[in-house]
Amino acid sequence: MNDSKNAPLIIKHLFLALSSVLFVFPFIWMILSSFKTSSEVLKGGFWPEKFHWENYREVLDILPLQTYLFNSFYTSLIITVYVLISSALFAYMLTFYKFKGKQFAFSVVMATYMIPGAVSYVPVYVILAKMGLLNTHFGYTISMSVSVFAIFYLKQSFHNVGFEIIEAAKIDGASDWKILWKIVFPMTRSSFVTLGLVTFIGNYNNYIWPALILNDGSKKLITNGIADYFINSSLGRDWSHIMVASTIATVPLLIVFLVLQKWFLSGVTDSGIKG
Amino acid sequence: MQIKLSKAVFFLLPVGIPLILFWIIPNLYSLGISFTDWDFMTTGFNFVGLDNYFDLFTQSFFIHALLNTLYFGIGTVVPTIVLGLGFALFFQKNFKGSAIYKLLIFSPWVTPTVAVSIVWSLLYEPDYGVINKMLGLFGIPGLDWLQSSKTAMLAVIIVTVWKLIGWTMIFYIGALEKVPNSLYEAASIDGANSWQKLKNVTLPLVSPTTFFLIVVNTITSIQAYDQIKILTQGGPSGSTRTLLYLFFQQAFEQFEMGSATAIAFFILIITILLSVLSKIIGDKWVNY
Repeated sequence: MNDSKNAPLIIKHLFLALSSVLFVFPFIWMILSSFKTSSEVLKGGFWPEKFHWENYREVLDILPLQTYLFNSFYTSLIITVYVLISSALFAYMLTFYKFKGKQFAFSVVMATYMIPGAVSYVPVYVILAKMGLLNTHFGYTISMSVSVFAIFYLKQSFHNVGFEIIEAAKIDGASDWKILWKIVFPMTRSSFVTLGLVTFIGNYNNYIWPALILNDGSKKLITNGIADYFINSSLGRDWSHIMVASTIATVPLLIVFLVLQKWFLSGVTDSGIKG
Repeated sequence: MQIKLSKAVFFLLPVGIPLILFWIIPNLYSLGISFTDWDFMTTGFNFVGLDNYFDLFTQSFFIHALLNTLYFGIGTVVPTIVLGLGFALFFQKNFKGSAIYKLLIFSPWVTPTVAVSIVWSLLYEPDYGVINKMLGLFGIPGLDWLQSSKTAMLAVIIVTVWKLIGWTMIFYIGALEKVPNSLYEAASIDGANSWQKLKNVTLPLVSPTTFFLIVVNTITSIQAYDQIKILTQGGPSGSTRTLLYLFFQQAFEQFEMGSATAIAFFILIITILLSVLSKIIGDKWVNY
């Protein structure tokens, strides 16, 4: 039917297997290096001569990565839950109702989508400073609590629900709150899961903004913790220890991904964007 | 359905309040700062009108950063789109093992840019990095990668493309699933070869996705920061300093707030121009 028939299957598998290895090679190298001694990393062999599990203990003794990891997980979780709920409410109104100022509200949201986050960093920094919320996780989470992408994504999938169902529920006397969570939500559940995962990962990986407002040692997120460790070590790097830190930051997310992969690999395009 | 705004407010406020407080007010405020010579440290400042904007174009480092952004943008978006589509074409028909390949190719997108950039900086090490060792196996002399202004941008681009391909591929796989098989059959009957089918059936039908991905990937590349910060810090000799990176240096290293926000708005202007341009091109070329 198409190209793939002509290409012999073996060559196809060989090519894809080789490419896949290239894609995950940095992870393999990172994990293997984290078990080597520093001088072994510099020699550049593949397999560790001996697995130095104590590397992990040594890094955790000087760097509270478990605290950073916890900070990243729980702030990302709170942000994700808030973004999902608030965006669902917003998208529900935009999708199913007409009201004065709707077009304006939507245009404002549209416009902010195009503005680089960097434009507002300085003033938001000042605003948080005035509210006394610098160096607090509360300040960080509220400043990350709007996702324009989430509003678009949910609006798109709500469109597929159909107006008749909403009208019918209205006639039966259901409130909007009930309609959203009892009718619309169950019908668009997969969109919520995918969006939740994308939002969570985006926040877990967030670096630049928390680097500006969360400087205090115990408040840092994992990305900031390992970036600072790496940058401060520029004179004489202990690569095996650095790879331990990178592994601790990366592997939990890879595990989450492996467990929930089907939501990524099928869900992303399902409802978000018309192809 | 009609609803009174007062009734809608309860649904709109959870987004509305943070949107106003952390997006709208700050952006207007930034626009204001860009017309001043504020230095962040002192409370006093003067209005300088559009001087910050005009001054940008007289400074060679700004022009340099502008060209770097262009190089980085094109260098990232084109290979990402081509390779993303290329891999997606392999998966147009399901076959045994395809799920694993997809999973592995997608995995870099999930991981923190900061963490994987740290790993890449080890891979790139000229003396003991594994990339030069591999090149050596094929008799190719190693490069200086991050340490030379000739290759640093290439190295940053490779990391960025590596991260973005999986995401792009997934969107293309979704789009390809929607191409009706009958079209390929019809093309076969007309005697079309694989290349002609790709050119005349596949590419036109996935063009909305291509259009969407070009816009999204371009915006992503204009806003790239993390990998540059870790891999090169904008160096060597400014060769990887993009506009966004320059913004951060001006704002948080030089404390030239007026100049920094002017750069940020310049980035915004570029983004708007690109969106308008792609809308025009889209209306003309994209088959919806």
